[in-house]
Amino acid sequence: MSDVGDPLASRSSAMEPADDEDSRYQPFAHLNATNRALYRQVMGVFVRAKQEFTVHLRPEDVHLGLPAADRPPLEAVTVALERLGKWGNLRADPDTGRVTALEDFYRARHIYQLTQPGEAVEEALAAYDEALGRRGELQAVALADITFHLRALRALAGRPEPDPVAVHLALLALVDRFSGLAENARAFMNSLQRTVDLHDADVEVFLAYKRRLIEYLERFIEDLVTRGAEIAGLLEDLGAAPEGLIGPLLRLAAEREAADAAPDAAAEALADGRQRWHGRWDGLRAWFLSVPGRSSQAKLLRSAARQAVPQLLGVVQALNERRAGRSDRSADFRELARWFAQAPDDDARHRLWRSAFGLHSARHLTIDQEALAEREADPVPASASWYDAPGVRISPQLRRSGSYERRGRARAVQDRGEAKAYLAELARKQAEQTAAARARLATRGEVRLSELDELDPAAFRLFLLLLGDALAAWRPGLDSVTATTNDGTMEIRLTRLPGAGSAEIHTFDGVLRGPDHLVEILDLAGGYEPGLPVGASTAGGGR
Amino acid sequence: MSGNRLGDTLAVQRAEEVRRAARALLRRPLLWAGGAGSEEFRLVRQHATELRTWFERNTGWSLLVDSEVARLRRIPGRDSDPTHPARDQRTGLPFSRRRYVLACLCLAVLERAEQQIALGRLAEQIVLAAADPELAASGIEFTLADREQRTDLVAVVRLLLGWGVLAKVAGDEDAFLKSAGDALYDVDRRVLAGLLAARRGPSTVRASGRGAALFEQRLTELNAEVLPDSDELRNRALRHGLTRRLLDDPVLYLDELSEAESAYLASQRGALTRRIAEFTGLVPEVRAEGVAMVDPDDDLTDLRMPESGTDGHVALLLAEYLAGRGGTVALSVLHLQVQGWALEHAGFWRRSASAPGAETDLTEQAVERLAALGLLERTQAADGTEAVRPRSALDRYRVGETVLLEPGQQATRKATPRTTARATKNTKTTSTKGKTR
Repeated sequence: MSDVGDPLASRSSAMEPADDEDSRYQPFAHLNATNRALYRQVMGVFVRAKQEFTVHLRPEDVHLGLPAADRPPLEAVTVALERLGKWGNLRADPDTGRVTALEDFYRARHIYQLTQPGEAVEEALAAYDEALGRRGELQAVALADITFHLRALRALAGRPEPDPVAVHLALLALVDRFSGLAENARAFMNSLQRTVDLHDADVEVFLAYKRRLIEYLERFIEDLVTRGAEIAGLLEDLGAAPEGLIGPLLRLAAEREAADAAPDAAAEALADGRQRWHGRWDGLRAWFLSVPGRSSQAKLLRSAARQAVPQLLGVVQALNERRAGRSDRSADFRELARWFAQAPDDDARHRLWRSAFGLHSARHLTIDQEALAEREADPVPASASWYDAPGVRISPQLRRSGSYERRGRARAVQDRGEAKAYLAELARKQAEQTAAARARLATRGEVRLSELDELDPAAFRLFLLLLGDALAAWRPGLDSVTATTNDGTMEIRLTRLPGAGSAEIHTFDGVLRGPDHLVEILDLAGGYEPGLPVGASTAGGGR
Repeated sequence: MSGNRLGDTLAVQRAEEVRRAARALLRRPLLWAGGAGSEEFRLVRQHATELRTWFERNTGWSLLVDSEVARLRRIPGRDSDPTHPARDQRTGLPFSRRRYVLACLCLAVLERAEQQIALGRLAEQIVLAAADPELAASGIEFTLADREQRTDLVAVVRLLLGWGVLAKVAGDEDAFLKSAGDALYDVDRRVLAGLLAARRGPSTVRASGRGAALFEQRLTELNAEVLPDSDELRNRALRHGLTRRLLDDPVLYLDELSEAESAYLASQRGALTRRIAEFTGLVPEVRAEGVAMVDPDDDLTDLRMPESGTDGHVALLLAEYLAGRGGTVALSVLHLQVQGWALEHAGFWRRSASAPGAETDLTEQAVERLAALGLLERTQAADGTEAVRPRSALDRYRVGETVLLEPGQQATRKATPRTTARATKNTKTTSTKGKTR
């Protein structure tokens, strides 16, 4: 309570003589004075007295009105009253009452009452306290009231000649309740944000109120859902400002308000009043009715409140855990985090990491197989020092260059030469075979099938292929057909020989029988000349 | 007869499989069915009982195996080893303070998360969790405000992806880094549940004190096990402790052991090392100064020595330079050496290695590697500058004299018959110890 060092305090005590130039705000001076607490208590007594319709108080009454626990002596109260009187908070009137003791009679006796400035100060301070201390409550009751007034308006709107007084009063009441609700909603959203934000939360208060807070929230959401729907319905019925049912009612209210205005300003006042009422009505509608593209305030509030519940529960949980220090794993990790944060240095943290998590790999020195074999053959005594015992071998390559051909694990580069040679050989043989088969089949003119001699398997396979192509090209009524193989290297010409017998072609695999034909097979790949190497023949094909 | 042979073959095969499974767990104590080590996971699952029994009896580590996840909950043999940090999956750099904190917060959030989570949502919740007054008081803040913080978060997420806690469904982290996108993950609850290896929940630890003392107390409490109150239990605790260190650490120096541990090791060394050798295929290298379980297969480790590449080469040259030298060597001396080597090996080393000033980093990394392998310790020189002191096992990497031996000729260095024989063979085969300069 000591204000030493507070410049305001010294200033205020310096201005205690009431003739300061800024005497308008003198009644606030006691807030910065040294005995501020006492002054506030004294003023509190007067405020309470006024609520009980008591106007004058004697110093003794004030003294008795102070809380018994730390009641200052009567003299101090008297001094305080005098001071407050000088600042203008109180008015001192001579006390004309009877006294029973002589010293009382000689003492300057006064009775005190609140002055108008003093009362204004008290109101201002009460408003200030309320605004700061406001927890932001949502009034479910307000919703009920709003519903009630809207119903009344709806009923009035239905009448042919609504009573202007009733209309005006209903509208005023509606505005009153509504502005209260809107104000509170704003405060509530603010405080909710503060509460959910753990940094600022007053933990004790929060924990104490959490259950009530959550129940309250849930009830409010419920009310907002049910009442909100009803209110929205009523608002829809009453319609938008100038055209809807509400229009005439608003006009009535505006007219009634304008009636008090001076005659020359009446028209202007009426227009003002209308505009004001239309604005209010629009605001009310916007609060409860969503239009496309914009959600109503009620909806936003509802979702904010709904989201707040799980968030609050999360905070409650976190707080509880933090306080209870239960040994669950989450708390363990949190505690470890603190240890890491408070550890003296990095080495300490590394040690803690190893102890707490034990996720490291084992670590061992290496020995090479050769040295191991030697040791087995010729053990080193356990009493030998590392200084004397044989060490490990390091490959000279590693010593020289730092790159490591790991012993015994040289990566085997596969030699594919042999396989390649084999494949090349295979390809050569196949090409040779094909060429030989082609050469074998090429007929140099027409021959009978039956004149083809025995065919080796490669030649026979080729022949079957040709025959297949030729037969596939055969159409009814044809006597002769010509076909070329897919790769265009051979051509076969097949001519029917009516009345000829059957031909037999002998192969290694068996005998092919069929009606005899004249056949001519040409090797288009370029004249194969016997004795020429195969490669030359294919190269000569110009493919 | 043939039935017996078949039985023998099966037994050998089985032992081999158990060994592979055990090595897999030692290399990666968290295996899961869908991960890269799914083959190893199958092996572990198949031989779960045998593995569990062995680890339980010899190390006190519990092995949890279910149809999805195998987790060996390893308690370190000593808690004073800072050489196993969490590392960035891309750069390989150790985690910073904020990343560690973030990793824990991330896990705390995931513990509460549904089956899936988006990176953006995860970030939001971490921001909320980071508002913890104690964290704020220690100067950690996480608001996701800048790219650096996003990078930290992504590094943590990648670590978790690597361990299978998260599995990516859609999106990518790089887009998140640029604030241009998001990523969606499945949360694997079973992996998550097995991530914390400590026996005690950190949140049950009540430690008092300030600063470093508080930290030490917390760490001790975290690793604390029930105090043994009978000879048998005491022996078991000693066995567990020593086996843990032999399994995990490259070298166990006798001078680091307590009196009880020394005594136990002296009497039980053979049994301890034999069990480990049978189980894992590691080979004991017992010396006057300590015991190292060395690996003939060269894969049961995260740091190799020798290793190829510039960094590995620097470490090797440094090891050879320091081996047998004894005493402390100032870091500045090493810098000069590395600078010289950089010129000498310019053709083989990466190009940036010969840039001015690069020797500091190269030396630092080599020293870090050698220290992590238990071959070196950091200390201060007499004049207060930073220095290193070689430890005895570093002598495994000393360079021998240049010897050109005819059969039957005596070697000059440490001319015991054994080394002579070896040296002879060396020059013939790979000439390891031949100086190349």
